[in-house]
Amino acid sequence: MITVLAIDALEYTLVEKFDCNNLKQKYYGKTNISEFSEPRTMVLWSSFMTGKNMEKEILAKGDKDMWNTKLDIKDTFFDQFENPKIIDLPGFSYITDQHDQERKLLKEFFDAQSEEEKGQVRVDYNNLAFEHHRKIKEEFIDVLEADHDFILGYFSVADVIGHLNFGNRTMMKMIYKDLDEIAGSMKNQFIVLSDHGMEQIGIFGDHSNYGFWSTDFKDLGNPGITDFAKIIKEMR
Amino acid sequence: MEYGEIKIPKQMISKIEARLEETGFESVDKYVTFVLEEVIKEVEDEEPEEVFSEEDEEKVKGRLRALGYLD
Repeated sequence: MITVLAIDALEYTLVEKFDCNNLKQKYYGKTNISEFSEPRTMVLWSSFMTGKNMEKEILAKGDKDMWNTKLDIKDTFFDQFENPKIIDLPGFSYITDQHDQERKLLKEFFDAQSEEEKGQVRVDYNNLAFEHHRKIKEEFIDVLEADHDFILGYFSVADVIGHLNFGNRTMMKMIYKDLDEIAGSMKNQFIVLSDHGMEQIGIFGDHSNYGFWSTDFKDLGNPGITDFAKIIKEMR
Repeated sequence: MEYGEIKIPKQMISKIEARLEETGFESVDKYVTFVLEEVIKEVEDEEPEEVFSEEDEEKVKGRLRALGYLD
């Protein structure tokens, strides 16, 4: 069984800073996403699963519709497996209601006129993201025991929480330690992959222009996110 | 140095007493003081957390629009 821990916005420098040794595994580094005009989540994960740059195709949908992208399994490397399980991946099995609600609250935060109102929206936003994270974590741990030849668990918490709280080191450390604990519970070979990292703007977070990877079997150097379709197919 | 008193559960005191021989501390008081000093040091060594600023907010709003998160 091959497993991918797909972690949105997992930031290389914080993995180092917080000593997340389970996330680092034996080999780890940054991915190269310089071929993309912006580090957009939907574009990057769609490019990961198809093994080709999907920027033009995704952007043609527009900013709103791109979040509804749902690729056919035949267009992805997942069809190389007999019984794959893909949890919440943007562009494939994305739980759109949840993530629409997150973006709605993000908008409400920036539209709020007072600090009190912003504070309340931030609490609601964080709670929504953490509750979803707990559900995904539980599902992922259950699925690891099931009969699948490929499992991908997508964890959005570092990205969603990071956008409004990246300057809150305690909160980010707690998230990274939890993600590290998930990586530490893995019994089979796995890849950790992020679409992009995150850089600080005061208390907020913006996408950085590189991602993170790790494995326990091979030094991948500075791979592109589109290289992973081939890398994973070769692991079978 | 002046000293004061704090209350901790007796069960914890028993656990610490059982560990004293392995640690080299002479007493529960010294052990607890050391642990608290370490915890406080860790907290104090942490970088100060960022505070909200309107300038940062405008900057990140622009970036989130570019990334497709905001209309």
